[in-house]
Amino acid sequence: MKKTVTITIDGKKIQAKEGDNLLQTALDNGIDIPYLCYHKKLSPTGACRMCVSKIEGQKGLVMACTVNITDGMVVTAFDEEIETARRHTMEYLLAEHNDAYDGTFYDELYFLARKYDLEDPVDRSYPNVYKQMNYPVDDTSPILTYDASKCIKCFRCIKACDEVQGKNVLSFSERGITSYIIAGMNNWGESECDGCGECIQLCPTGALVEKPHRDEIRINKLDRHVQTTCPYCGVGCQIDLYIQNGKILRADGVENVMPNDGRLCVKGRFGYDYVQSEDRLTKPLIKKDGEFVEASWDEALDLIASKFSEIKKKHGNEALAGYGSAKCTNEDNYIFQKFVRMVFGNNNLDYCTRLCHASTVTAMLKSLGSGAGSNSIEDFEATECLFVIGNNMIETHPVTATYAKRGKYKGHKIIVCDPRWTKMVDYADVWLQPRLGTDVALLNGLIHVIIKEDLIDKEFIEERVEGGMEAFNALKELVEKYTPEEAERITNVPKSKIIEAARIYASASTAMISTGMGLSQQVVGTHMVFSLINMMLITGQVGKESAGIDPPRGQNNVQGVTDIGVSPINYPGYIPASDEENRKKIAKLWNVEYESLPSKPGLTTVEIMHGAYDGEIKGMYIMGENPMMTDPDLNHTGEALKKLDFLVVQDIFHTETTPYADVILPASSFAEKDGTFVNSDRRALRVRKAVEMPGEAEEDWKILVNIAERMGYNLGKYKNAKEIFTEIAQATPIMAGITYERIKKEGVQWPCPTRDHPGTKTLFLDRFKTNSGLGILNPVHHSEQKERATREFPFILNSGRILYQYHTSTMSRRNKALTDFANRSFVLMNPIDLEKNGFNDGDKVKLSNNRGELETFLKSSDGVAEGELFMPFHYSESQVNRLTRGELDPYSKIPPFKYSACKVEKV
Amino acid sequence: MIQETKIALKNAGKIDPMSIDEYLNSGGFQGLKKAMHIEPVKIIEQVSDAGLRGRGGAGFPAGMKGRFTDEAICHYCGPKYLICNADEGEPGTYKDRVIMEQDPFLLIEGMLISALSIGAGKGYIYIRGEYTESIRKLKNAIDQCYKKGFLGKDCLGENLSFELELRYGAGSYLCGEELTLLESLEGKRGYPRIKPPFPAQKGLFGCPTLINNVETFAHVPYIIEQGPEHYKKFGTEKSPGTKIFTVSGDVKNPGYVETEMGVTLEQIIELCGGMKDSKPFYAALLGGAAGTFVNKEVLQTPMGFDTLKEKDAILGSGAVIVMNTERSIYDMMESILEFFKHESCGKCVPCRVGTNQLLIMFHQMVNQAKGDRAKMLEKMKQEAEYMAANSLCPLGSSPILPIGSISKYFKEDF
Repeated sequence: MKKTVTITIDGKKIQAKEGDNLLQTALDNGIDIPYLCYHKKLSPTGACRMCVSKIEGQKGLVMACTVNITDGMVVTAFDEEIETARRHTMEYLLAEHNDAYDGTFYDELYFLARKYDLEDPVDRSYPNVYKQMNYPVDDTSPILTYDASKCIKCFRCIKACDEVQGKNVLSFSERGITSYIIAGMNNWGESECDGCGECIQLCPTGALVEKPHRDEIRINKLDRHVQTTCPYCGVGCQIDLYIQNGKILRADGVENVMPNDGRLCVKGRFGYDYVQSEDRLTKPLIKKDGEFVEASWDEALDLIASKFSEIKKKHGNEALAGYGSAKCTNEDNYIFQKFVRMVFGNNNLDYCTRLCHASTVTAMLKSLGSGAGSNSIEDFEATECLFVIGNNMIETHPVTATYAKRGKYKGHKIIVCDPRWTKMVDYADVWLQPRLGTDVALLNGLIHVIIKEDLIDKEFIEERVEGGMEAFNALKELVEKYTPEEAERITNVPKSKIIEAARIYASASTAMISTGMGLSQQVVGTHMVFSLINMMLITGQVGKESAGIDPPRGQNNVQGVTDIGVSPINYPGYIPASDEENRKKIAKLWNVEYESLPSKPGLTTVEIMHGAYDGEIKGMYIMGENPMMTDPDLNHTGEALKKLDFLVVQDIFHTETTPYADVILPASSFAEKDGTFVNSDRRALRVRKAVEMPGEAEEDWKILVNIAERMGYNLGKYKNAKEIFTEIAQATPIMAGITYERIKKEGVQWPCPTRDHPGTKTLFLDRFKTNSGLGILNPVHHSEQKERATREFPFILNSGRILYQYHTSTMSRRNKALTDFANRSFVLMNPIDLEKNGFNDGDKVKLSNNRGELETFLKSSDGVAEGELFMPFHYSESQVNRLTRGELDPYSKIPPFKYSACKVEKV
Repeated sequence: MIQETKIALKNAGKIDPMSIDEYLNSGGFQGLKKAMHIEPVKIIEQVSDAGLRGRGGAGFPAGMKGRFTDEAICHYCGPKYLICNADEGEPGTYKDRVIMEQDPFLLIEGMLISALSIGAGKGYIYIRGEYTESIRKLKNAIDQCYKKGFLGKDCLGENLSFELELRYGAGSYLCGEELTLLESLEGKRGYPRIKPPFPAQKGLFGCPTLINNVETFAHVPYIIEQGPEHYKKFGTEKSPGTKIFTVSGDVKNPGYVETEMGVTLEQIIELCGGMKDSKPFYAALLGGAAGTFVNKEVLQTPMGFDTLKEKDAILGSGAVIVMNTERSIYDMMESILEFFKHESCGKCVPCRVGTNQLLIMFHQMVNQAKGDRAKMLEKMKQEAEYMAANSLCPLGSSPILPIGSISKYFKEDF
């Protein structure tokens, strides 16, 4: 804790913290010392010299931004000499600066120029020299323009890229007055810049301005700013939308609030244009004679109500099923599960989490009693060791990765475990590269080393693990055979690295595990997570701050949708469907007979599809999901959807799934409604309406209430999303203390059981959520995959994501900035395989197996091992899931997206 | 005529700089030998008692620097570093080159003693990249020292190792500024750091660091060997010891001389054979670009840090550029202002824009009538004063030195 001291600024006594930044303290206390190069998030630079001040006892002028506060400090922030110096500096800045202003950015320099009566060039003393300097303009980036003539060389962009985002792309070229910013070795377009735009956000002048909508946006003509939550991954970044003429023209990160503290990635900053795409669905569509024709809402909803009622009558409750959506708000999804439970009368409801995190959640539930991430995003920076496994964080959760990188710069350790090279490897102390599907053997190998070198936390095992040392001994016995040599034989990871990683993880004062799809999307997914948790429990790397296990959620609201009960087994708040007391409570809240609420577990995502294929499921309601891209073995999925008697798809665009629908309903995007998302660190965050819905599109929850009504059910008379949230809080004990008022500015992390509860940053500090309150070891053996590379299908195909596209790319691909960066499918192949097969980099190839085929382009990369391939799953013209299989992990029912044998042929 | 007094150059020209044996035979490493039997803090005390002041130009007491470094609490419990600043870039200065080319072992001995005094295990010589001959000789010297056990494991006693590395500057004047030098040594672009913290507290890689100039280190063996009292016999009370002056311009025999501190400019010129072709003395630039112009009023002033300061002049690096009455102060001024503009790193506004602004003003001035020129010179002085007060590092504070001294000593030419 920093000591509180008293300082004096211009005669005003101020309580401050010893060692704090003087400029920031002054600003926080309403003393507006001018500055340009300073930013709260950055280390002090001392370049602009605007914050000159005097400190009693110190010679000459000092820069307030570079002063650390000491007790009794007496500061002069304003006097004639200081103001004269500042005005002089301002004159200098304006002398090398191009004044042209096109109205497309906030100009801090101009603001200060006005303060010193220098906005008019006739009032200035020095000749302007910017034209003689031949300052360049760099227009090569898809997302920004850099104009050196407007640059004041304040270093904010360089430090934004370096200190905040950990990317180090920017620096100065030239020296002195002719210096200017360059990206990489030459220009932005050719550099490693990935387009996050942090530099633009922190630029105090118009040197860096966003390209998209620059011709439209005029800062003084904005209607308003709206703070909301990013619709892409599960980090839940807070974004500030600039609205002009009812259109979104810009997005900035919101400073000073968690989880992102102003940071965004390229998708968050430049990915909003899909909202205003011309492709949006604007009217209900009904399939008539194989063609979709526009219909009125009444017609569409009546048809849906009658069809569902008919199926229910004819085939019984169990013949209906629904997919909720991780893209929709908690409010939408809460109404959705209420709809399925009340109107369909079953628990056949699930959503995409089954395809991402089911195995992680299953294993965590069994071992720890909760499937949610145990930590908070800032712990990625604070933890001494970050164990990243099967998680391509820099591309999939870029803002979480910024915290990890900052931790690394502080000297913390990072271990990356991934069968292919990811950008995170550049930051790693150790990279473990196991053969695809061999993680259990690798993790057992790590556990073997930890036990052998006595790096276990005996006290923790005795106090917090069920069965204590006895349970531990069972694990010890099981891993006995996984010597580093044996682990190396199975996984291909050198034993020295296994030993090194084990030591780093176990000996760190705090270590955090960050899992990902690479681990979970496997037929042995649950086992892999068990293994990981075993390692965590025996080393005591959980149950304290900055330690634990965190599976970052892939979509904006994956966490929330499960929290509020879109689950075949759980009601809101993870309360099992079988819990009678809870059903009674819910029945009362919903104003229905408790006997009518289904208690039997329903079908999961892929099981629903299997059910449709087998004719057991006759009618389906799909809200904002695209199974014809996301489900495994797509040919099979297509057959299943065709067999349905009636399918409703509610979405904002036509997708690969909508052609199978009988009715398509135009829904609302994140920017058009109020609501909440819950992010990966269990933070309930506000979503706010920023623009109007296009055409006759409607809020998702309203559509559901309407259909229910037509089927004779009253889901509730809600006036707005806020009222739904109030009910969510009543139905969901972990969120009982959260209200819209509380999360107005910043989210609150559940569990938050009461209004006065501050929310929970770290889970499992005192006990686990299992019945006994203890963690449970689940020793598991490595098992060989059924699917194998064969002579016919010699390659193992891995699939995953890239930074610039998102999920099935229905949203991301409708943003020019994003498609400018990446818009073509590819498959990565090791150069040795390329040579062996006579392929060339860039060749168009066909990938196929018994389940299907696809065409894509070869990319040579030694980031994948020989015999292995990697391909992003975003592109509809090259659907990876034509090749994946529906064989499920027996425990969690997750399909193995990461492991499909196939062959490759030149087209 | 006065005589040269040699401390830093005591072996120069007498021994083969490529041979450690010759250095040893001429009494080399005696200071080190003695230092190894003295308590480290006593070494610092002796340097302090000798009154040794930094020969890089600022004249900061070397002992004090050492004490600060020694006393610094290393926050990371990491190592302490010792750095020799051999990035000699001040125009007209080449004293360090002479030492490195003619007696590289003396520099290494000085560094070894200093390493002992602060407990540094690792040292760097950051040398001007263009000094290829110095580099060649230092490389050889370092190699030989390693072979003979003067460098490397346990070279300073049991568990007292010292590793020494050469690092090359890449032509930036500013990298001779100690904090910028640290950035460069860390592999970063040569931008000045914010001060404080000073290197003694948080220097290279955030660890306590002692940085001294080549000539400063070259005095240390002598002080330890002969004792501070003996050393203090040379020079003046406030600037003891000797100094190498590098004399160029309109003298008969330009070159370097090492004399006691406190000799006069006139005596130095005399040592260099007097004015070339017996033309009258007009001006001298003392200390390089970041130096001061003086006229004949200063010819009899003792050359010492404080004595010159009383005359609003500086000793600086010991560069002396002599001009006769046929020379123009304008030419000198222009080349200095161009130099500053070229070398300004651009990090802080006053220096970046100011160095350019001064040159613009200079070009306006030369076309003006006498009298107006004087007014413009005054304005330039005011700009330079603003720059000195508001700049981040010594470069921005430098233009006031030549401009201020021109205004003081050569006003009648404007």
